Amino acid sequence: MSTGADARAADTARAEVSDTELAELRTTVRNFLSTRADESAVRAAMDSERGYDEKVWSQIAGELGLPALALPTEYGGDGCGLVELSVVIGEMGRVLLPSPFFSTVVLAATAVVASGDAGAAERLLPGIAAGTTTATRAAPPRAGSWEPAAGALGVRVTGSGSEREVVLEGTAPLVVEGAAADVALVVADGPAGPTLYEVEATADGVTRTTLRGLDLTRRMARIDFRNAPARLVGRPGGAALAVARVLDVATTALAAEQVGAARACLETATAYAKERMQFGRPIGSFQAVKHKCADMFARVQVADAAAVEAARAVDGAPGSPDPGVAAAVAHAVCSEAFMAVAAENIQVHGGIGFTWEHSAHLYYRRAKASQLLFGGPAVYYERLLRRAGV
Amino acid sequence: MPSEPDDKGMDQFVAEVRAFLDANATRRAHVGDEVVWGEGEDRITYFSTDPPEVEAARVAAAKAWQKVRYDNGFGWITGPPEFGGRNLTSLHDLVYDSLEAEYDVPDTGVLSLIGLGMIGPTILAHGTEELKRRYLPAMYAGRIIACQLFSEPGAGSDLASLATRAVRERDGWVLNGQKVWTSVAQHAAIGLALCRTDPEKPKHKGITAFIVDMSAPGVDVRPLRQMSGGAEFNEVFLTDVYVPDDHRLGPVDGGWGVALTTLMNERASVGGEGAGPAGRAVGLQFLTELLRANGRQADAAARRRLAELFADQAASEYLNRQALRRFRAGEQPGPEASVSKLMYAQNLTRGAHFAAEIVGPRLVADTGEWGTFSWTELLLATPALRILGGTEEIMKNILAERVLGLPKEPGIDTTSPFRELRRSGRTGA
Ligand SMILES: Cc1cc2nc3c(=O)[nH]c(=O)nc-3n(C[C@H](O)[C@H](O)[C@H](O)COP(=O)(O)OP(=O)(O)OC[C@H]3O[C@@H](n4cnc5c(N)ncnc54)[C@H](O)[C@@H]3O)c2cc1C
Repeated sequence: MSTGADARAADTARAEVSDTELAELRTTVRNFLSTRADESAVRAAMDSERGYDEKVWSQIAGELGLPALALPTEYGGDGCGLVELSVVIGEMGRVLLPSPFFSTVVLAATAVVASGDAGAAERLLPGIAAGTTTATRAAPPRAGSWEPAAGALGVRVTGSGSEREVVLEGTAPLVVEGAAADVALVVADGPAGPTLYEVEATADGVTRTTLRGLDLTRRMARIDFRNAPARLVGRPGGAALAVARVLDVATTALAAEQVGAARACLETATAYAKERMQFGRPIGSFQAVKHKCADMFARVQVADAAAVEAARAVDGAPGSPDPGVAAAVAHAVCSEAFMAVAAENIQVHGGIGFTWEHSAHLYYRRAKASQLLFGGPAVYYERLLRRAGV
Repeated sequence: MPSEPDDKGMDQFVAEVRAFLDANATRRAHVGDEVVWGEGEDRITYFSTDPPEVEAARVAAAKAWQKVRYDNGFGWITGPPEFGGRNLTSLHDLVYDSLEAEYDVPDTGVLSLIGLGMIGPTILAHGTEELKRRYLPAMYAGRIIACQLFSEPGAGSDLASLATRAVRERDGWVLNGQKVWTSVAQHAAIGLALCRTDPEKPKHKGITAFIVDMSAPGVDVRPLRQMSGGAEFNEVFLTDVYVPDDHRLGPVDGGWGVALTTLMNERASVGGEGAGPAGRAVGLQFLTELLRANGRQADAAARRRLAELFADQAASEYLNRQALRRFRAGEQPGPEASVSKLMYAQNLTRGAHFAAEIVGPRLVADTGEWGTFSWTELLLATPALRILGGTEEIMKNILAERVLGLPKEPGIDTTSPFRELRRSGRTGA
């Protein structure tokens, strides 16, 4: 089970955010992204060396303060919950914003917070909140499940100065925005079992290699560790709990991103169905096309409900379902929905939808990559059953 | 559904409901979703398949329990006090339902699904004071059952093409025509009938709504056997049936607006339908027990399908919860509620077929083993869920046209006089 219960106890003091406040947050982020991250800007960023626009990233942090939104107040954050963060991430998903936001704020920061390590939090979170530190989390690759199986992590501790200062050896083959991160949080096989460590990306013995990716708007890298210095985060052997929490938060945030992107596909398809004329009428008046759009809408509505409910649950909102179950439901439902909607969007467009110039393939790529990022259907359905106690 | 912790009024309401239920019903041994495999009645009922005498006893029990509810202030929780209501919110209604589900009480679906859920709100919205006083308390006190006389042989999805005629005579109207698929008509004292009053106007503009006394001369109810075996729906023939003008709902030729009220409530009630025996049967707990009882709990293919089912069910439940939250915040349900209806039909259908696959040949014939052949009831009911309350295609048209704003089907005639339309089936006039 997840550590949701602890998080809930800590979070109950937070007042529930109103729909109006959420709508305002959404408008702010949407307005910002519509000028700074329109399709041509996204394409320029995805073709750039780094894979994202550093100026936009620094504005996201400096002008909007978004990385700080859901971080604890004692480390420079605003102390909001996943409900608010989901709105932001949904908007980023909507435009497929290339950015280290997800890797830094969701994957890395959550791991630090969940580790319960105050020292690490003090070291890392203020920089993340201010947008001056980018980070990521290197996942155990083999099972693809992100759930650490001792002895199979691909990275292990080969020497240590002390319990807190070790050296790592091995490879993390698929790291989200790994090349751009200043800091990588690595789950490695330590003397006490799977343990979380912090590695400076520029340290000796750390090699980052950008990989050719399916998803052109989210970069993946391999990180090789050869005698790389690393610092303990949390307890030795304590990675498992932190990982469970990170998974619940990350899959819930990803679900919000998937819904934002899926809704963009639905809107693009619907707009095209209204304007494209064939046989003397808009194609959207043909029922086969019309019903495709209705199906897309239904999927997006249900996925949206799943993502919102999971965020509420992980935040510990009163009357919400078990966070582990809700997060797993959202991950499955939103992954499937986005994939289906991204695929149908291409079909509604016909030939133009199959061109490089059209945005449809960018969403299709993100849909498949995000569906598989945490293991894919076989893994997430099985995890759902386990979370539900079956 | 738990109450909000800060809501004192709700806590009081919960206590009041508990006290009422404890005094008037027995609490179930197994509460909530808890499943004890092999225990209890081996039935997964959706539509009744019982012989008439059993059915009659069930209807009598339903009416009796509704009267007890009503006498204690729980007959019409959201209704106005002058007609026997409590003037509380839909959330109170839901809280009541979830508490009552812990007790062994008669199923009141025969009264509530159509009469109290759809016809009552329509009378409340469009009826004269006199009509409301006359029928609403009687309905919510369980004295009379109401049915929905909308569909006709020639008018189903295209309800506005209905042909049953109402012609002015003396202080009222004379009705002639045929209705069909009328659920619970055999038990009903009144029906809400849509009739053609002006065939020279376009189809939506010449319809008027009436409350028909089902015992009036000329009303002939004939049961229709359903594919599930029982006969819950009927044909209703109307031959020179006199209806006084004070039984008209809404303006003359303004019946389409009345019908929309009914249909809105219908979609909300079908999609929002809670667990019930069928919902529980396709829920995670029961299906997990089904896998276990059949030695399939480690079967990867079965687990995968179970997980897919559960994910969609849970997400649909979240969707309904959120709709309820918005409803509480004062938002009216819109056409997007059709998504709930689509999901409800889909989830029950997939659940029934999943169970059938696990049970295998023991679904082909009754071997007497608990939890096997009983799935046939649900399997034979689910096709109706994709038809009643608006077919899947119609739901998708609504979503595409009313929510997404896609163009209407070309060639659908909404302007020519009704008389000139091409229709199938018997014509009214
Ligand atoms: C169990 C049950 C109980 C019912 N109870 C009642 C009741 O109490 N009172 C009452 O008034 N009615 C009741 N109904 C009737 C129900 O509302 C109708 O059956 C339904 O609206 C469909 O109409 P139809 O049967 O005439 O089918 P049709 O409208 O003839 O539809 C046949 C097929 O054509 C498709 N179709 C029709 N129009 C279109 C279109 N524009 N685009 C695409 N496809 C289309 C439909 O989707 C369907 O697949 C009940 C039905 C059932 C099954």
